[in-house]
Amino acid sequence: MHSVTAIVVAHDGARWLKETLAAVLRQARPLDRVVGVDNGSRDGSGALLTEAFGPGNVLALPRSTGFGEAVHEVLRRLPPAPGEEWVWLLHDDCVPDAHALQALLWAAEQDPKAAILGPKLRDWLDRRVLLEMGVTVSRSGRRDTGLEPREYDQGQHDGIADVLSVSTAGMLIRRDVWDELSGLDTALPLFRDDLDLCWRARTAGHRVLNVSDAVAWHAEASARRRRRIATSEEHPRRLDRRNGLFVLMANLPFGALVRSVLRNVFGSVLRALLFLLAKQPANALDELAALGSVIGHPMRLRRARKARKQGRKQGWPAIRRKLTPPGAAFRRLADMVQGFLAGAGPVDSAGRHHAAADRAQEDDGDELLTDSGGVQRVFSSPGVALFLILTVITLVAERTLLPGLLSSDGHLGGGALVPVTGGASDLWRLYVEDHHAAGLGSQTWAPPYVAVLAGLSAVALGKTWLAVAVVLLGCVPLAGISAYAATKRMISYAPARVWLAATYALLPVATGVVAGGRLGTAIVIVLLPVYAALATRVMAGSRRAAWGLGLLLTVGTAFVPLAYVLVAILGGLAAVSFGGIRRGVRRSLVIGLGTPVVLLFPWLVQIAREPGRILLESGLHESGLHVGRLTTPRLAADSLLMLSPGGPGVPPVWATAGLIAVALAALLLRRHQMIVAIGWGVMLFGLLVAIVVSRVDDAAWPGVPLAFAATGLLVAAGHQAHRIAEFRASGGLRRLGAMLIVVVAFATPLAAAALWVTRGADDPLRSDLSDPVPVLAELQSEPGEGTLLLRPKDGTVGYTLMRGRGPLIGESDLTPPRETTERFTTAVAGLASGRGSTYVQTLAASGVRFVTVPGSVDPALRRALDSQPALVRVSLSETGGLWRVAGQVTVPPPPATAGGLHRGWLWAQGGLLVLVLILASPGARTKEPDVDYADAPVEEGPRGRRRAKENKGRKDRVPA
Amino acid sequence: MRRLIENRFGLLALVLVALGALYGVAFVSRPAPAAQVRPQAVRAPVESVTAVCPAPSGSRVSVVTPAQDQRNPGQQDQKPGSATLSAIRTPEEKAGGNDDVIDRPGLLWQREIAVGGGPLVVDATGAMAAGLESAQTARETSGTQRGLAGVRCVEPGAESWFVGPGPAAAEMTLYLANPDAAPANVSFMVYSGEGPVLSERGNGVVVKPGQHRVIRLRDLAPSPLIMALQVSTRSGRVAAAVKAVLGEGRGVDWLPVAAAPATRVVVPGIPGTAGQRELYVAAPGERDTVVRIKAVLEDGSYALKNKETIEVPAGSAASLDLSTGIGGQPAALVLESDVPIVAGLKITGTGARQDVAYTAGAASVDLGSVVADGRAEGKQTSWLVLSAPFGAAVAEVQLVPSKGAAPAPVEVKVPAARTKELRLTPPKGSKGGFSVVVRPMPGSGPVYGGRVLDEGVKDGRLLTAQPLAMARTWALVPPTVDEPGAVLP
Repeated sequence: MHSVTAIVVAHDGARWLKETLAAVLRQARPLDRVVGVDNGSRDGSGALLTEAFGPGNVLALPRSTGFGEAVHEVLRRLPPAPGEEWVWLLHDDCVPDAHALQALLWAAEQDPKAAILGPKLRDWLDRRVLLEMGVTVSRSGRRDTGLEPREYDQGQHDGIADVLSVSTAGMLIRRDVWDELSGLDTALPLFRDDLDLCWRARTAGHRVLNVSDAVAWHAEASARRRRRIATSEEHPRRLDRRNGLFVLMANLPFGALVRSVLRNVFGSVLRALLFLLAKQPANALDELAALGSVIGHPMRLRRARKARKQGRKQGWPAIRRKLTPPGAAFRRLADMVQGFLAGAGPVDSAGRHHAAADRAQEDDGDELLTDSGGVQRVFSSPGVALFLILTVITLVAERTLLPGLLSSDGHLGGGALVPVTGGASDLWRLYVEDHHAAGLGSQTWAPPYVAVLAGLSAVALGKTWLAVAVVLLGCVPLAGISAYAATKRMISYAPARVWLAATYALLPVATGVVAGGRLGTAIVIVLLPVYAALATRVMAGSRRAAWGLGLLLTVGTAFVPLAYVLVAILGGLAAVSFGGIRRGVRRSLVIGLGTPVVLLFPWLVQIAREPGRILLESGLHESGLHVGRLTTPRLAADSLLMLSPGGPGVPPVWATAGLIAVALAALLLRRHQMIVAIGWGVMLFGLLVAIVVSRVDDAAWPGVPLAFAATGLLVAAGHQAHRIAEFRASGGLRRLGAMLIVVVAFATPLAAAALWVTRGADDPLRSDLSDPVPVLAELQSEPGEGTLLLRPKDGTVGYTLMRGRGPLIGESDLTPPRETTERFTTAVAGLASGRGSTYVQTLAASGVRFVTVPGSVDPALRRALDSQPALVRVSLSETGGLWRVAGQVTVPPPPATAGGLHRGWLWAQGGLLVLVLILASPGARTKEPDVDYADAPVEEGPRGRRRAKENKGRKDRVPA
Repeated sequence: MRRLIENRFGLLALVLVALGALYGVAFVSRPAPAAQVRPQAVRAPVESVTAVCPAPSGSRVSVVTPAQDQRNPGQQDQKPGSATLSAIRTPEEKAGGNDDVIDRPGLLWQREIAVGGGPLVVDATGAMAAGLESAQTARETSGTQRGLAGVRCVEPGAESWFVGPGPAAAEMTLYLANPDAAPANVSFMVYSGEGPVLSERGNGVVVKPGQHRVIRLRDLAPSPLIMALQVSTRSGRVAAAVKAVLGEGRGVDWLPVAAAPATRVVVPGIPGTAGQRELYVAAPGERDTVVRIKAVLEDGSYALKNKETIEVPAGSAASLDLSTGIGGQPAALVLESDVPIVAGLKITGTGARQDVAYTAGAASVDLGSVVADGRAEGKQTSWLVLSAPFGAAVAEVQLVPSKGAAPAPVEVKVPAARTKELRLTPPKGSKGGFSVVVRPMPGSGPVYGGRVLDEGVKDGRLLTAQPLAMARTWALVPPTVDEPGAVLP
């Protein structure tokens, strides 16, 4: 005959205790004895126990007493009962089902070897969620329930299972076994004491069963930190980890122990690093501290091992089968990466109880509610549809560029883009090397955008042409999807976002960017909507958005310095106007605007020395006479006002008339006037800057300021677009007006697309450029020997010196020493004049082996080159001429460089970049919710509201 | 302000005013269209010149570098230099001790070269290079070589054109010389009256550094009566010259290098002496063409009656007798065609035994021209024929004697579309030959011309002609800029 004693240990658990006690008393199999233990509760738990069990059955213990100690204390005082006595351990936050005990006892009767039995634990709040059906542990000490996070109980695991351990919440243990094993280890006041006990029980030859017919609901209040833990001053996470390691190391036989120590030292360091990356330094510290605390007290471990010595080795094979299989670690890693991509905290604290690793619900879109398949969901999204349509438009417009791009010998180039040659490693070398041997040799530090391009090329498998083609040729769809995604929080009306994104992507600036080969502006117009989105979040006080803005602004600034000036002025104005509204906005702005300055410091100093360069972007610029092929000098006032930056590839001025008209109409609406005013303010500001840019320097292209202006206009118009729906609904004249506005609004992107497709996206950009270095010259040049390229154009002879390969992107921004250039230019002029003398020898002393003139060679130049005795003509045809220097060619040795400063800066820049990346990347969503310890049912403040919302959201998600 | 923003029309008005203001700013600040000032090429004196006199044996070689032009101050910083006359030699051979060194600009150097020996190389640097001109002129009064035969010593180049009678009509000899340090891979192309001649013996030859070759064109193409010869190099440079010996009593002369194929060719320097004039035109391209002929004479410029055009089939040469049109008149011919053509002209003298002279298409002498050899001894006369087919021209003509001070330059005005013939007479007392320097004055139209040398001997007039070639005084140094964008077309 069984006799069951229930022991309920309470500690500040009044929130749950009432229900727990009721459930205990309502058991279908009545309890023989009930004992309540109050570990110094301050919330009236003692009174509740007394009320339920009667004053005689309640034991009051000090506040620092652990669970195990309390049970020991009770059993020490409780005389043994007749028959086979069972002890049922219950937490104050654990409600057993009415038939739980009955089921447990029935299972115990079936298996005489069963000494410890546990119920199926489900979540307290969401009562269908499975928490535990027996727990095991991995070799790294990680607690493992074998369940998916938030797995619903649908009976899928039901049955009586032989498990490694069960939780102390609802644990039914035979009293003689308890006495034999001397019960829970009091050295483990919290966490893993259950595992330790069950491990010892199994080692001693008993069985541990989980009985799914017995159900209990568990709040895991301590693990989830819903209450302060009084038994230890340490953080529960560290405690949990330390106890996990301790139990593992105390119970493993020696060989396995050694392996386990090695594995855990390595694993903990790795995990600590991951935590650091995930901006969870507290977790990292806990991880290392837990390991240190176990390894750092070898005597304690030895004592524990000594106590568990008996039968450890013999029981080990049986135990080992129950441990988590090794493959689980990889599965967890995969889960982690997936979680990181989904925007959750990247590293789940090892060994936490499942519910504690609850995903934040905030970011999951409503899309997740739909049951349709992934593919259907993706394609029915307006953003994706827009992206696809823009891609098709782009491909059609770029029809003349694609064949050359796909053929192996064509190079993409033209306008501001040098023919793209080389790969990621070439760009990377250009960025880090101290002395650039390319061209005439230069000691200037390579511009930082080279590093960005090197990174992009590395992503594109080292193929620079691919990266450039995607960014430059794909800038229209990329800008579209970027604008669509960035306005998600600003504009809720999806058709308005589609219109906005399409209009933005097909702005004259965008088509001009493609035709002009302006890689820098291409990147900025893709990033610009992201700047806007991040800036609004910075204004809302997000620090991470500030770091992100800083990082992306650094990228944009590296390509187009003017972008920084524009953002900085707008940011400054915003700080003056709205800085007082929220605490920390100013600091966030300083972060956002300061990051580019710090990351690009030496280069910005160079720019500041030559202020004219602020107006220019990366790539080739026109100078002197040639101005006019890439920009429109004397750009007409109406062009500027219609957001047309001039230069090749822009549609006629009227193409954007619809946008302006709609934005003007938006001014007439009554609501949300402030946002419209801000949008127009940005527009006017961008326009002003564009006017200044186009008037100051004929070689400067006002694309970026006009893109800013257009962004302002689009936000002003798009924000009011939802009123169209209202007007349409109201019927009559208003309906007509709404239709008219829609027609006018969509006229702009449609006209722009039609004009773009008609004109074609090329010219001056081409994709069939040949390598500027003729094959023959490439093959016959010794390393370091150069090929001088001459191109007479409009009465001037442009030249460039290439060393064995065409110039890389970024090499055009290197400035060789002035006197070298002058000497070399004089020699080239002498060569091109045909006046004889020793100019060829001067060139040969700079390492020139070949002189090439691409295209059909101007007769005067051909005569001049032919008249040089030291030049031997190698070939001459319609596609170009090639001459070879017959005499001695000396490659100038690279000068000795003191690259210490450069090297130091590169390392510093890399370090800063990693830091900013970590700070900007999604990591731990919020700070540790320390304030939640008290866990009052109704909390004040925004955090409480958010949690309430989360809980509500979770409830909503329960399938009917 | 806030109320203004909140009022819908207020905001609209505000924005419109701001837009208007920006439009105004953009409109007003738009710069006036500035005429782009093209950077001008700078004239710079030539610093080194190499020329090859193809076969000076038994000829008089004249070398001259005109004195510095006082009008151009840029020449003052010119380094002193010298010109060396030496037999052609390979780079390995040491400079011989018997080389002639000329280091005095402004004086004509002349010398009779003994019979025998190969080509002479004139190498000039520094001050002697700027405008260096050299020529060889042979004078024979009997035998197959009877006549005056002069040729300008030419710089080695990659391509030369010669237009004249074919190997079937005359003994044509091609002289090739390579004074450079790199071998020249030379190929020939003969365009005959029947089309391009493809030689089965191969039409290429390699001339090694310091080597010279003499090639009888009859071996290449025996049949053409008229021909245009293209000598081009696939690599390296070669100095080429062609001598035409028509036979005993029929004359001898060198063919001047003709201007490269162009759609408009000016054949200048046709003297006013009597005799036959035969025009040769070749169209080396792949299209037939009709060449329009216009004569620029002393009294005007017009198409010749019944000789307005000449048809030239693709890849062939054609000839036209112009004796009745321009015979006895100093002239230049302007030939225009839809496809590039090359042209030359044979001038035949009078008398029982004739001599011939050749002129050919030439460029205008914008930067001036120098003719090394001029003579006014005994019955020898030198003529300068200047034409201004496209606009009135003013040129300065100066004689450079071999001794003593140069006489003052003479200014010659040529009205538009006219030709003028000058008889060159050296100042009294000067002995021997002289050189002629022609410098177009600033603002002048393009000047074309030629120098003709004739000598009346008892059995017929001896003749030689040389179209004015651009002097190697100046080179145009183009504005040059280090431009990474040069890699883009």
